[in-house]
Amino acid sequence: MKYHFFSSIIVFILLFPVFGSGQKVLQWRGVNRSGVYDETSLLKSWPEKGPELLWEFNGLGNGYGSPVITGEMLFINGEIDTVSYLFALDLSGKYLWKSKIGKEWTLSYPGSRSTPTVVDDLVYVTAGWGQVACLEAGTGKERWSLNMITDFHGAAPRFGFSESLLVEGNTVYCSPGSPDTNVVALDRFTGKIIWISKGAGEMTAYCSPMLISLPQRNILVTFSKTTLLGIDTKDGKLLWSYKQEGQDIDCQVNTPIFENGFIYCVAGNGNGAFKLKLSADGTQIAELWKNPECDNLMGGFIKVNDYIYTSGYEKRQYYIVETNTGKIVDSVKFDRGTTNYADGMLYLYNEKGQVGLFRPAGPRMEQVSTFKLTAGTKAHFSHPVICNGIMYIRHGKSLLAYKVK
Amino acid sequence: MKKKFSVTALILVAFFVAGAQDLSLDEILSKHYQAMGFENLKKVNTIIMTGTMVQQDAMPVKIIRMRPDHYLMEFDIQDITAYQGYDGQTAWWTTPWTGNPKPQLMPDDRAKELKSRADFDGLLYHWKEKGHTVELLGRDTVDKSPVFKLKITKKDGGVEFLFLDAAKFIVQKRMYYRIVRGQEVAMENYFRDYRSVGDVLFAFTQDTHYGGQPYNSLQFDSIELNKPVDGKIFRMPAK
Repeated sequence: MKYHFFSSIIVFILLFPVFGSGQKVLQWRGVNRSGVYDETSLLKSWPEKGPELLWEFNGLGNGYGSPVITGEMLFINGEIDTVSYLFALDLSGKYLWKSKIGKEWTLSYPGSRSTPTVVDDLVYVTAGWGQVACLEAGTGKERWSLNMITDFHGAAPRFGFSESLLVEGNTVYCSPGSPDTNVVALDRFTGKIIWISKGAGEMTAYCSPMLISLPQRNILVTFSKTTLLGIDTKDGKLLWSYKQEGQDIDCQVNTPIFENGFIYCVAGNGNGAFKLKLSADGTQIAELWKNPECDNLMGGFIKVNDYIYTSGYEKRQYYIVETNTGKIVDSVKFDRGTTNYADGMLYLYNEKGQVGLFRPAGPRMEQVSTFKLTAGTKAHFSHPVICNGIMYIRHGKSLLAYKVK
Repeated sequence: MKKKFSVTALILVAFFVAGAQDLSLDEILSKHYQAMGFENLKKVNTIIMTGTMVQQDAMPVKIIRMRPDHYLMEFDIQDITAYQGYDGQTAWWTTPWTGNPKPQLMPDDRAKELKSRADFDGLLYHWKEKGHTVELLGRDTVDKSPVFKLKITKKDGGVEFLFLDAAKFIVQKRMYYRIVRGQEVAMENYFRDYRSVGDVLFAFTQDTHYGGQPYNSLQFDSIELNKPVDGKIFRMPAK
């Protein structure tokens, strides 16, 4: 008995660095920002016209960002008359309130870009012209805010700031992308600066960072214009970087994935898909392979066992990439778009508004069901979210909730 | 067995092509009108085509047409909505991707293109009454399929070529030239996926090549006939 108790404590201590403080962060692309949603007993096929539409909300304003769902509420960004707002809805789609964030991007592809991050009773948001804000989840009241252009000498990239903020413990990170103030760690309760990293001194590149937790250190991994950065979250020290090859490259949107000591990336510019080996202490990387043909720009990618599933960009089709070699082993015609995963199935949402339920089958993916979205406005760019048996899809001003359980 | 079938098919094609070669322009056009369902098109006053334009991104597109020559195309570039319109007199457009969201008069050459597109029945129907000239230039191929090549010299002097399928008499391809920075650039529209709506044939896919390279693709989800349309929408807005 004593032995068991002792063992449990040891296990808890070992797990502690992985799970941090047990803090629940609701964020972009689900668990670890991997596009995987921890759901069970979901439908394995859909009716011909798609799963049951539970509700739709049509007053979001323009945007591409996904919702984040808590136990009682749902948060999503939207642009109305050049202003970015955080919208709060209840889980039946009823509007609760909206709170002003700042000036939203209204040049090319106008509308809000990022997805809110929720930790306990606070929501962290960004807007296209660089506003970063912390709001109270219950009321939308602002706790603090700053601007990455005016406060940190950042410059808006050509499609606007698009990062969904990463929170770790008491810290929230943002990427102004200026040569001297490239990535910044802020106290998430006050907005005060903890450290500033010069990174590679490049413009920000639309990437929402991810966190690697190792026994020795935690590493923030994100892209700037041409470079993948590994930054020690303790002090902002740049541990390593990985340069993308090619000219006129500036779009490194997809959040990388870390698994079993390997970093996987899929980028629309530069090296395309690539795999890096991270040293045990997190201070060094080594390239294992790259494949420029796998060039997804912003739809994300999913890794299931030894395969990556993602769409192409230049070629409007989906790819299956073998993760030991980096070779494309198959392709599937389903235009191009986003990829997510839940309960053993791939959820695809393409730029023509088709939603597909596919079964990943190793080097192949099998189409099970598809339907086409009929509501909403503008481009089909957003990433679906699956939470508590409901699939949420944002299409411009509309948010649609489908029952998939 | 398979060989016999192939030989028979070959003979039939040869017979057909030989016969088709003898057709006059009037006979070809008569078959074209019949194939497209022009008699039924006469009963149509408005057409609304809704779908997707794939040109780098896949973006929504809507084309609204009204007799005799009213046309409005609403489409998104970089997710910003733009318009091309013709109200029977004035051809206009918006080009928000240039930074100017205001409606402007179209340049002359583009206005002529739009007027051609706006002709509700197309250039071939009643071409003499419209002041155009149509010549049969002979046979050609489009995507390896035999076609009749027609040259249309429009009343305004512009020239277009239409390629009619030699078996089905539907339009396979349209070609004309656009002047870009002083150079003639070939514009080719390929019409595919014909389906019948109200007993009129419509191409649900239109692929455009610019200077020989794929440029964009219009893919329609729905084509609706005789829906009420307010004629005011075709006029150039004040701002």
